[in-house]
Amino acid sequence: MILKIAFRNIFRQKRRTILTALAMIVGFTLLSLTIGLSDGAYGGIIEMFTRNRTGHIQVHRAGYLDKPSLYETIDGYAAIGETIQGTAGVDAWTPRVYAAGLGSVGEKSTAVQIIGVDVAREIQATRFNNKVVEGRVLGEAASHEAVIGKGLAKVLSAKVGREIVVFSQGADGSLANDMYKIVGIAESGDDPTDRTACYLHIEDAQELFVLPGRAHEIVVIVSKINQVDKVRNAFEAKFNNSPLDVAPWQVIAKSFYRAMKADQQGDAIARWVIMLIVAIGVLNTVLMSVLERTREYGVLKAVGTKPTQIFWLVICEVVVIALGSICVGALLGIFVNYVLSIYGITYPEEITYGGMKFKTLYAEVNIRCLIIPAITVLLSAAVVSLFPAIKAARIMPAKAMRTH
Amino acid sequence: MMEQTQKTDVIVTEGVTKVYTADGIPVNALNGIDLTIQSGEFTALVGPSGSGKTTFLNIISGLDNPTAGKVWLAGKILSEMGGNELSDFRRDNIGFIFQAYNLIPVLTVEENIEYIMLLAGVPKAERHERVLAMLEVVGLRGVADRTPTQLSGGQQQRVAIARAMVSEPAIILADEPTANLDSKTGADLLEMMRHLNGETGMTFIFSTHDPMVMENAQRLITLRDGQIDSDKAK
Ligand SMILES: Nc1ncnc2c1ncn2[C@@H]1O[C@H](COP(=O)(O)OP(=O)(O)OP(=O)(O)O)[C@@H](O)[C@H]1O
Ligand SMILES: [Mg+2]
Repeated sequence: MILKIAFRNIFRQKRRTILTALAMIVGFTLLSLTIGLSDGAYGGIIEMFTRNRTGHIQVHRAGYLDKPSLYETIDGYAAIGETIQGTAGVDAWTPRVYAAGLGSVGEKSTAVQIIGVDVAREIQATRFNNKVVEGRVLGEAASHEAVIGKGLAKVLSAKVGREIVVFSQGADGSLANDMYKIVGIAESGDDPTDRTACYLHIEDAQELFVLPGRAHEIVVIVSKINQVDKVRNAFEAKFNNSPLDVAPWQVIAKSFYRAMKADQQGDAIARWVIMLIVAIGVLNTVLMSVLERTREYGVLKAVGTKPTQIFWLVICEVVVIALGSICVGALLGIFVNYVLSIYGITYPEEITYGGMKFKTLYAEVNIRCLIIPAITVLLSAAVVSLFPAIKAARIMPAKAMRTH
Repeated sequence: MMEQTQKTDVIVTEGVTKVYTADGIPVNALNGIDLTIQSGEFTALVGPSGSGKTTFLNIISGLDNPTAGKVWLAGKILSEMGGNELSDFRRDNIGFIFQAYNLIPVLTVEENIEYIMLLAGVPKAERHERVLAMLEVVGLRGVADRTPTQLSGGQQQRVAIARAMVSEPAIILADEPTANLDSKTGADLLEMMRHLNGETGMTFIFSTHDPMVMENAQRLITLRDGQIDSDKAK
């Protein structure tokens, strides 16, 4: 009966119901949008970061990550690559050879980090070609070419077309030195990297360091970032008996991952503010409705309705409106987020975050966009209606019935 | 009158005082009322407007708290009961007919009348039967499914009366029950109440300005300025 009265009240006071519902729906949608955009932004940053730099998953010989060394190699990486490619959820993979050395252009010399890349795979996996800001990318066949980082080019006063001489030591202990033609200059978005990076074709690098058929790292790109864990588990099962170690981006880029987490906490404040606005709106309409209907509560009490029943009557009304609003808000939220996940919002100016540039902000449609606003609206409605409900329950019938 | 049943004191008041403070000015609505009402009484409370009739009825039914004094209702002190207990007590013992009929606007006539029985857990079939019988008594056949706004003032008043009486409480308190009725309907209603009073021994207390009601009362209590001016049995 209490529920029946609650429902009838909801339909009788259409204007007030609509007002309350509107406050809740707007709140829900706003919250949903905030979460969608924030998740979208972080998703974008993480995607960009992992795509361009670390990849989603990296495979090394166990121990390499802790103490990178020329000798800790993945032997027969081509076969391992085949296995990786054959795993569900994997988009691309690319091997890399890393070694330190001394680079000289003309009179100037500095320490360089040699990165041997499989050009075709590197382009497919990490869009290596997009990083080349001057000149061109390395040829797909090994031909003693080099692409150097922008910072390194500056340090060495090197230009496209000049030659860089690399000195180092091969894995067999021999002296390694060779000359490469600089065909391009690359900008990865990470300045420290660009100050030392010297990209060679992987076969040139293997030859220089005497590492035939070997690589230090395999970078894996998955088709969907939320499948990283699944793919990683699949790898771990497959590489069970080998000396290989599988690390997801959260481990490889620990500090980046932590910064992302911390940043996301900051967005919680925005959420609290919206929640507060919704709560105040709801409190206002519920209080109004209780005041308007003081007389009715008085009558209900006068004929023997318990204070607790009146309390639940008020709560019920609000919760029913809240549930309805959540349904409408959910549809709106999904719709808005979906539209923004396709068209996005274009920034008036390019935004740079950690050396990465963003032109458009895309929203993300996920379960968080629904669950968090739903809980917020429901909880704030319930909490906020406590006070009017108690007020209604405590009404003195004689006094209440005098008010018209 | 069937007065063979043992009479008990259903309502006892002792020094009931009510002071309202409206806009900071205290108004003495009741000034120490000592009264005993026995079961089966058919009593009229009269007096000029503002003499405290409504206030007194509200206090003895627990709808309002006295500023001072005590009220025993069926042997229990009202002020010592908790909120939920008081509600149940009121539901089970008192039918109140308000000066302004005070129906619940979102419920139909039938639902308004059955509401108290519903709170008391009377089964559906019985509720329906009793509602229809009661509507018959108050002369409102065929309006069960309407809402209060679709009724005239007099009809609403009769619904309110039906609501108060349907659960056959021991005490009916009525604040000017005939004020909004034409004299014919008023007379019918009075007849019905007298009948119920005689048949079941229900206790009736009215406040009224209606000479016809006063005439029919067995006991006439006159209030003036919040005090008992006279108390006559007829
Ligand atoms: N809530 C209130 N606040 C302030 N004063 C009140 C309140 N209720 C009643 N009064 C005052 O108390 C006195 C008694 O009022 P009450 O309503 O009991 O009179 P009544 O006998 O029922 O009058 P009527 O015959 O007009 O219904 C009046 O002076 C009235 O103005
Ligand atoms: Mg009155």
